[in-house]
Amino acid sequence: MIELKRITKRYGPVTAVDDLSFSVRPGRVTGFLGPNGAGKTTTMRIILGLDTPTSGTALVGGRHYREVVRPLRLLGSLLDATAVHGGRTAYAHLLSVAVSNGIRRGRVAQVLELTGLDSVASRRVRSFSLGMKQRLGIAAALLGDPPVLMFDEPVNGLDADGVRWIRLLLRQLAAGGHTVFVSSHLMSEMAQTADHLIVIGRGRLLADMPTDRLTTSSARGDVLVRSPQASQLAGLLAARGAGVTVTDDGGLAVAGVAAPAIADLAAAHNVPVHELMPRPPSLEQAYLDLTGASTEYHAVSVDGEGGAAR
Amino acid sequence: MTAVDVRAAEAPGVAPAARARDILAFEWAKLRSIRSNYVTALVAMVVTLGATVVVAHALASTRAPLPAGLFTPLTASFLGYAEYAVLPISVLGVLQFTSEYSTGLIRTTFTAVPQRWAVLAGKVAVAGAVALVAGEALAFACFFLTQAILSGRHRGLSLDMPGVPGAVLAGGFLVCACALTALGLGAIIRHTAGAITATVAVIYGVAGLCFILPAPWKADIGRFTMAFAASQVLALHPQHSLFSPAASMLVLVAWPAVTLLVAGLVLARRDA
Repeated sequence: MIELKRITKRYGPVTAVDDLSFSVRPGRVTGFLGPNGAGKTTTMRIILGLDTPTSGTALVGGRHYREVVRPLRLLGSLLDATAVHGGRTAYAHLLSVAVSNGIRRGRVAQVLELTGLDSVASRRVRSFSLGMKQRLGIAAALLGDPPVLMFDEPVNGLDADGVRWIRLLLRQLAAGGHTVFVSSHLMSEMAQTADHLIVIGRGRLLADMPTDRLTTSSARGDVLVRSPQASQLAGLLAARGAGVTVTDDGGLAVAGVAAPAIADLAAAHNVPVHELMPRPPSLEQAYLDLTGASTEYHAVSVDGEGGAAR
Repeated sequence: MTAVDVRAAEAPGVAPAARARDILAFEWAKLRSIRSNYVTALVAMVVTLGATVVVAHALASTRAPLPAGLFTPLTASFLGYAEYAVLPISVLGVLQFTSEYSTGLIRTTFTAVPQRWAVLAGKVAVAGAVALVAGEALAFACFFLTQAILSGRHRGLSLDMPGVPGAVLAGGFLVCACALTALGLGAIIRHTAGAITATVAVIYGVAGLCFILPAPWKADIGRFTMAFAASQVLALHPQHSLFSPAASMLVLVAWPAVTLLVAGLVLARRDA
């Protein structure tokens, strides 16, 4: 498992990671979410000992990664799939990584087959598409058959088949008792894969909870209202303290006042209502609410797709 | 929910010998799986031997008595060599780190072996051994080639003359010393072009500057440079104004040693 204790990383005046603590447990897929630039990759680099934190400790299996001998047998990772020498064949690349950790040769052929790269094993990596490089990186991560796996945006560059393949692989690994830690900037992707979510924004921890609890705890639903006298109704609702946003097609997204109260208010003022639809909170919206607040207080209007997610 | 046991995954006490073998095998596997490395080494060999033949023929056809200094039968063996073998092999040294930094592979390397000093040691051992073997092979080849051409003019030397075997061995070591200095500079600078420029400056440039200094300074400062030290260990009659061949040998060890020490400190501290 992975444990972070009060990790802070500053680059000059910029604080990339700010007093971040969490732990990633075995037997489930833990999603690591945050907008671009939130500090996800930096956090992963600190876990791998590539970057030294300004303060705090990161432990893998109770130990500092930089002190682990043959670490690929403990933690397999993929940070940047393009970080390979284009002049090497896929097989040669994996073989060099294998021997560095005393991993037997036969394992190279196994991970090539597992990632569907066996037919291109003797081709130079230079000729690979991003999706193939992504698979090669995953093959390298699996080489040591490690109990802990960490992937940074693994579906980047993959086609629909590849995305499904990754999703299945992550779920299988977690079901087999592995610790699986996967970052993404897309909630929609994580919603289908992760059992548990760690959300950060501007380097700070925003949420650390099971995926299904994130919606109920942080996001509020709203009510979509349509009326021929929309502007009058909007004024009335605003006077009651509701948050009103006009949607693209002229509807009103009303937050803070329940549907029955909206209907009563409209009836009391003789405003006709053509549509009144409570929309449950979406994971996407919960995520945007969380991360939007972390960056600055700008209005986040989520139109239309509220009912679609989850 | 069964957890895969983290403890079980740890190799129970990897022996230091096995660790060293892992790291050497890693660097060796990386070195031999890049085709351009072979091409560079081959070009270095061919051009060096070719230049050596040209120099030897020029020397053999000189009617005048042989001048002292540069053009002795011994140093002539290494004239082609200094220009054409040292540089490409040093570039290979530079690339050990800079090619990994430019492709991002360095992060794979440091993820596989997170102990930065161990990575440096592995590269030094593998690249150093390759450079030493290549250097000695070239040094002996150049020596025999030159002497074979000169012997026709009764100017040849043989390997059993005093001072000759040591000089030829030192010539091979010179390639290794330059390659390791270059490797250290590559680790410090990280960018190929910059590191090659620095390598050329250290191996040739500094000595070139000393060469144009006025008399006492030329020798006083110049004797600390790799090129002046190299000329001393390769000469049958070393110049008295410079360090002795033994002390010059120390200079040739000190340059890579200090560079690699700085490289290790920088690698251990810096974010990858």
